[in-house]
Amino acid sequence: MTATLAGPSRPTDLVARRARRRLLACLSTLAVLALVAVASLVLGVRDLDPATVWQALTAPVAGDVDHQVVLGQRVPRTLIGLAAGLALGVAGTLIQGVTRNPIAEPGLLGLNAGASLAVVCAVWLLGVTSPLGFVWFAFLGAAVAAALVFSIGAGQPVKLALVGATVTALITPLITVVLLRDPTAFNMYRFWAVGSLTGRGLDTLERLWPFLLVGVVLAGMLAHRLNMLALGDDVARALGQRVGVTRAVAGATIVLLAGTATALAGPIALVGLAVPHAARRLVGTDYRWVVALSALLGPVMLLGADVIGRLVLPRTELEAGVVAAAIGAPVLVAVARGRTVAGV
Amino acid sequence: MTSTLPTPSAPTTSAATPAHVTPVAALRARRRRRLTLVLVSLGVVLLALATLALTLGAASLPPARALLALLGLGDAQDAFIVHRLRLPRIEAAVLAGASFGLAGGLFQSTLRNPLASPDILGIASGASLGAVTALLVAGLTGLAVSGAAFLGALAVAFCIWFFAWRKGLHSIRFVLVGVGFAYLCSSLLAWLLSNAEVREAQSALLWTVGSVADVRGTELVTLASGLAVLAVAVSLVGRWQGPLALGDDHARGLGVPVDAARVGSLLLAVGLVALATASVGPLAFVALVAPAIARRLVDDGGAALTASALTGAALVLAADVAGQHGLFFGVSAPTGIVTGLVGAPYLLWLLATHGRKSQA
Repeated sequence: MTATLAGPSRPTDLVARRARRRLLACLSTLAVLALVAVASLVLGVRDLDPATVWQALTAPVAGDVDHQVVLGQRVPRTLIGLAAGLALGVAGTLIQGVTRNPIAEPGLLGLNAGASLAVVCAVWLLGVTSPLGFVWFAFLGAAVAAALVFSIGAGQPVKLALVGATVTALITPLITVVLLRDPTAFNMYRFWAVGSLTGRGLDTLERLWPFLLVGVVLAGMLAHRLNMLALGDDVARALGQRVGVTRAVAGATIVLLAGTATALAGPIALVGLAVPHAARRLVGTDYRWVVALSALLGPVMLLGADVIGRLVLPRTELEAGVVAAAIGAPVLVAVARGRTVAGV
Repeated sequence: MTSTLPTPSAPTTSAATPAHVTPVAALRARRRRRLTLVLVSLGVVLLALATLALTLGAASLPPARALLALLGLGDAQDAFIVHRLRLPRIEAAVLAGASFGLAGGLFQSTLRNPLASPDILGIASGASLGAVTALLVAGLTGLAVSGAAFLGALAVAFCIWFFAWRKGLHSIRFVLVGVGFAYLCSSLLAWLLSNAEVREAQSALLWTVGSVADVRGTELVTLASGLAVLAVAVSLVGRWQGPLALGDDHARGLGVPVDAARVGSLLLAVGLVALATASVGPLAFVALVAPAIARRLVDDGGAALTASALTGAALVLAADVAGQHGLFFGVSAPTGIVTGLVGAPYLLWLLATHGRKSQA
């Protein structure tokens, strides 16, 4: 697949080949996603064979433990992983595109921490206990953190990442103060904060899918604007784009997607960082394709992390957030070692 | 501790001094006066804070009685309060604060970046991870936890080093790789906390914040002797800090072994952070803020290492007094929370104003 661009050829030939290559990348990612989803249904502490899973999905027998596991745990887990991964992947792509910054990511920029603080305060002060109640606070917290980080760090890639890390470091003691006072809140929070796909009912997803849909549609509409923005603010403006509007809409979309993901699966870091880099490797720099492929790669990474987490330890599980960070951190290190960032 | 100035070889204020040397000599004398003044006043502030910490508390002691008890002359109850309850806490705060301040000064002058701090670099979270693993997984207590924290900090520091080294040590790459490791450590930390029994998890959470409350006996002795050894080593390396600040080429021209000096300074800084974190936990941002204040006070363009250590000690002691006596939210807060809430806004302000001039 990598050899297709090597030989000299006519421009039209090249364009056709590139389109075929991109389509191939998307289709094979889709196939991988399907495989990961099946693995997520089949694999786990209780191993089930595909036939049982199929039977549970099509003709469930009431009282059968295997079927209960599939319908009550595996299916919600898989769906939540798909939705949260999609949101994180697309949010990461948007944030990297709009800031023209290879190390931007919702978690890295403090959005997760903001959402966490808001959720903790909601649990502590207002006694909110259901994930449906968390959602609005997650959005609010992510939006406030995003506004703070972007107003201070806009412009320079490294600075933006540092401001994000600092905002996270500012919020962490605030969260800890609340948690040390209130053991009940701590007990709820620690399961949420690890970034897991389990223990969440489908009702959260039922309430949240409209946000996800709006976010993804907005991201699709923004993609070609990001292409122009990649040429620089001045060029984009000269091509007739209102840069401020693009930034504002993109910011709102990022908060919408990152807030949804955080409300669904907790604060998961570094998925939004790794996915756009992988997508750009596969389909080039055209954001229309990068956004589309990120929407597929995000679930692959998150759900894949979840499946890996079920397999590495005997009798217990590593949560998806932990495995995703373990996959994402080397990507961050690799990007940091690259010339583009070090030269900034 | 002669780090702040490349010392002049001889007294230059004699009558025979050529005319063009006089301004330089005057400047140096003025700087030395200022440095002395700063160090003395920091010492006074530290003493005042220590007195305050001795007298305040559930059983309030007037300064005179506290002093008598300190010298072993007061009644038994006062002596118990002072020697068993309050003094260890003050000593821990001063020693840990000095270590963090010194380490921060070394980090910042060596990486030539006022933002370099073990909190951002992930070394603090490495220490937390080590300690929490020891507490929750291995079920260790006391000095063993400190040892695990020490190992964790060193391990993360070496990982950062290994991955950030590419034909030399570029400070931004160092910081970014550090951020990556910080995220990795904190996600593992969250996992450990979520898998533990709730009461144990809460004591581990307290550890990750950092507090000077429960440092006694052997731990205190370890901290003090470790700090003494490392401080001597720092005073040997410190004289290279001035030339290093001029840039690698100039420093090399002045006969400084650049790579060795940098590696040595960073190793000492990591050692100091690991030592202090092992005994009191990762007190957020002390290592960032203390050197910045010290440099501003001394204002001679040098690393101001001695002043950084004193400032760090004063900061931690003040934070502990403030946290203990409920200046935050009307409840007593662990020391690390107070320092975090003071330090992080400062770093944000630094990023907002500083970035325009320099690379970071």
